[in-house]
Amino acid sequence: MKSAPFDYVLAKSIYEATRYLAEGEGEAAVLAGGQTLMPMLSMRMARPSVLVDINGITDLSGIEENNTAIEIKACTRQTELLNSPIVKYHLPLLAQALTFVGHSQTRNRGTIGGSLAHADPASEIPLVALALDAEICLSHVESSRQIPATEFFLGPMMTVCEPTELLVSVHFPLTKKESRVGTGFHEMSERHGDFALVAAAAKIELDNKGSCIDAAIALGGVDGTPVRVTALEKKLRSNGISDNTLESAMELAIPEILEDLNPVSDQHATADYRKRIAAILALRAINDAITEAKGNIA
Amino acid sequence: MRKSKSTNLRYISKKRRVIEDERFVCGTGKFVQDIQLSDTKHIAIVQSPYAKANIISINSKPASELDGVHAVLTGAELANHTDPIRFGLNLPNVTWYPLAVNMVRYVGEWVAVVVADNPYLAEDAAELVEVNYEALDPIIDPEEAYTDSKRLVHPEHGSNILYEGHFCWGPVEEDFAKSDFSLSFRVRWGRSSTVPIETFGVVAEWDEGREMLEIWASIQMPNFVELLASAMRIPLNSVRLHQDVDVGGSYGVKRGIKHAIIVSYLARKLRNPIRLIEDRLINMSSGDAHGPDRIFDTNIAFNKDGKVNSLKIRALDDAGAYPGRGPFQLAKPISAIVGPYKINSVEYDAISVTTNKTGQVPVRGFGQSPTNYMLETAIDRVARHLNQRRLDIRIKNLIKNDEFPYLIPSGSSYDSGDYLGVLQKTLDRADYENLMKRRKNARIDGRLAGIGLATCLEPGGGNNIFEYLMNPSAEITTFTEGCEIKVDPDGLITGVMGTTSSGQGHETLVATIIGEELEFDPALIRVVHADSLNAPVTRSPVASRMAIMLGSAAAGAAQKIKAKALAIAAENLGRPIEKLEYAEGTVFDQINTSHNISWSEICFIAHKAYHKLPHGMEPGMRAHNVFQVPGGGQLPDTDQRVQIYPCFSFQVHIPYVEIDQHTGKVSILNYFVGHDCGTQINPDIVRGMVIGGLAHGVGAALYEKFQYLPDGQFLNATFADYLMPSAYEIPMVTDIEHCTPSPLTSHGQKGSGEGGYLGAPAAISSAVNDALAPRGLSICELPMRSSIIEGLLNNGSTSQ
Repeated sequence: MKSAPFDYVLAKSIYEATRYLAEGEGEAAVLAGGQTLMPMLSMRMARPSVLVDINGITDLSGIEENNTAIEIKACTRQTELLNSPIVKYHLPLLAQALTFVGHSQTRNRGTIGGSLAHADPASEIPLVALALDAEICLSHVESSRQIPATEFFLGPMMTVCEPTELLVSVHFPLTKKESRVGTGFHEMSERHGDFALVAAAAKIELDNKGSCIDAAIALGGVDGTPVRVTALEKKLRSNGISDNTLESAMELAIPEILEDLNPVSDQHATADYRKRIAAILALRAINDAITEAKGNIA
Repeated sequence: MRKSKSTNLRYISKKRRVIEDERFVCGTGKFVQDIQLSDTKHIAIVQSPYAKANIISINSKPASELDGVHAVLTGAELANHTDPIRFGLNLPNVTWYPLAVNMVRYVGEWVAVVVADNPYLAEDAAELVEVNYEALDPIIDPEEAYTDSKRLVHPEHGSNILYEGHFCWGPVEEDFAKSDFSLSFRVRWGRSSTVPIETFGVVAEWDEGREMLEIWASIQMPNFVELLASAMRIPLNSVRLHQDVDVGGSYGVKRGIKHAIIVSYLARKLRNPIRLIEDRLINMSSGDAHGPDRIFDTNIAFNKDGKVNSLKIRALDDAGAYPGRGPFQLAKPISAIVGPYKINSVEYDAISVTTNKTGQVPVRGFGQSPTNYMLETAIDRVARHLNQRRLDIRIKNLIKNDEFPYLIPSGSSYDSGDYLGVLQKTLDRADYENLMKRRKNARIDGRLAGIGLATCLEPGGGNNIFEYLMNPSAEITTFTEGCEIKVDPDGLITGVMGTTSSGQGHETLVATIIGEELEFDPALIRVVHADSLNAPVTRSPVASRMAIMLGSAAAGAAQKIKAKALAIAAENLGRPIEKLEYAEGTVFDQINTSHNISWSEICFIAHKAYHKLPHGMEPGMRAHNVFQVPGGGQLPDTDQRVQIYPCFSFQVHIPYVEIDQHTGKVSILNYFVGHDCGTQINPDIVRGMVIGGLAHGVGAALYEKFQYLPDGQFLNATFADYLMPSAYEIPMVTDIEHCTPSPLTSHGQKGSGEGGYLGAPAAISSAVNDALAPRGLSICELPMRSSIIEGLLNNGSTSQ
């Protein structure tokens, strides 16, 4: 478990980092928190020619709030997010999910950008980004672009981010203050802090009468990327929600959830197990979200 | 031997700081990794990607041409210059070398090693070693291995059976015939480990001038030096094993004999110090990590009143590719084959098979934990069959206080115990009635809730006669331990032990006992680990034996020191010994206490004033004492009855669990453990052992398992895939102490390193099965992963 040889550069600015990446001709890797990359280097599963260290770039760290979105810079540590009042207030789903991301020791180093760029299909941060319609900002040495989370993830550990691009920030759109919003996050893993076998995130908006006006439901660990369960979202929006109809709506929804899922079987669980608990976890997340949203109705 | 009266004790059983803790907590321990010899070279290992294959050719040229690479060693070269590794079973046609010769037998087996200036370079070079294999059809399933005569792991051996023994103690058939009922079941124990925080490490240097091998190794292993010298074809006294390194955890798995042979051979060949520190991938895939992997088929005979009469047990154990000491883990359970219960007769078929998996090594309890899991499952099944309380079946069958020493069918005499007392105390503390109410309420709410109940016996301090049971050519009847005490001319005391410690707190143990005997503050007593050429007699710190064996040896040595001090005092005070009294080193005349001689005067005389010594007394102040394993010491009788272990500790485990019926996830919400290991030398050490062992058992019960695909591919050599529980998964534990001294040891102490691990898997299984019982379901394999339980609950199947 000693890495293959590589060069190392410490980038001092976003521009410098992107320049190094461009010079790396596709063989460079970005070192952020290193919580995934370092073990992969040690096991020689990753063999970059050059490691571009972005930990020294101050422009890549921080949480900013404007009128329309919360912008989180790529190198912001997960611990900082977890401790952030902005995240807690505006992005409670992210705050909930972060408690499942590794352990406090790994969160002290691990970054939001690193987690998104790594794109493990069972990891929590990509799931939340997808559920909250986040946009991901990528910088190239000469240009930059902003990609919706729905288009960002391509497959297991694969994203649209080119090897010469740097993930610089993620933008979470702000929910209108007057809506009644609730969120829920449930995850199943054998041990606390593991990658999820399955994780489910839900965000529900209710109107004054308690009818559902918007819903975002996303699942992780059930396909090569996190997925939005659009059929279920539609059903929630069209039916409206009341205490009486919730249970039956959920029961009806289970086949729809299961239908499109495409999880893998591995040593930790079969695909069938993942499918079954995906339904359960999605329903639990929705339930929590609705309960919370109802509580938010004055 | 005398029994302890704790009121008279100064240091023993008192809550006192563990001597070793400070250096471990502060990071000032000294481990193998800290041994820095100049110009040390490093090793990387080339591993087999196949479960079984012939090695057609190895091209080491590209690797050896790399700058900074000093050697590429293959199995063929090593086998030419060393002898095979000795192991305990008598299997002349099973050959084990550190590096594969001609054939690889498991995924990850070591095929070649590269020596280079640093570990990075060594790994670069290892990638360049070209090995051509001819893949063969492996055998992975142990039942298939047992019957298959074609797919052989060791073709020359002629079968995959390493050991098959039949034992019958007492009138088994008669007892079955006259019992009201019998039932049979199968349980399976998963292959798991102890996962020390430090992987195995070894550094060796060949001293050319002295023609000696100097070696530092993070071992916890008997016979290490003997095996090493034998493989190296050098005299035993040409090996100096430095045992003053801290060992970062073990509980059985720190063997490292193949590692040691490789570095020793290379150190001698290259005239350079050589170091091999395992990384976690090597450790988990192909180091010494895998424990018992066992299937039990058990038949239990009992009466309608719950009285258990007899057992028939078949244990099939998968030893993996090379036998090592693993198969003997079928034999230790013989020493407590009926657990703490009065069972009149037992039949035991013990089978060890070889498969194309990583070789098995000893793990905490040496086979006792799987056996206890089976035994406690049997008792629970009896209760379920009779529709009686599990508690009542246990109360009915437990050995009573007035029945000790109690002779079991296989020949062990249990030294002492208060099983019903510990049980009652634990039930009281757990508020068992209330737990049952809580379970009832949870069930009314539609939740799956269960209470676990398990007992376990922890045999400690064995004499190793199990080796003879499985290999009659090994006439071994003892497993001694010695301790030496040196008192210097200033009167300061040093205790010398002969082996390494891997976190058990032996320095505290020895210092406490010497301090107790000589009435000196243990904090002022230094304890050192002598190297193998200077060591007192030792058989290593295994088998829950050190409090019993080393502790009693230390007490004996201290008594010799005290006797010498008294003799010197008598000479110089002009009074007979029986008229003198010893107190904190000073010796007084009983009648005239002002007539006395101080400890420092006595020590000065012993070392430097020959004219004041009693006539003929050897000068100096040192004593060596070897403690013989109490009881036994004899070969088995014709019915293979034998006393293997002298002391038997006892525990009761009561966890309360709930299961998420949709995901299958088990949460342990409460855990109560009552324990009795006789006199506790240091209560904090005992508590650490009990709770740490229990945590280890939680891993075996719910999480940990080395997994193989049917083609022999090994799936989990990292902590992402091998699910070792963390602090999040371990419940808060309430421990309840009880003390029934052993009559066989210096202060009534027994073993305590294993009990937590012996009881927890059985107890958690009991709790999970209790939770599943209302659904008419049961689970009979460990670990009980969520997906397996969910499969049972929602599919009625056990497919994951």
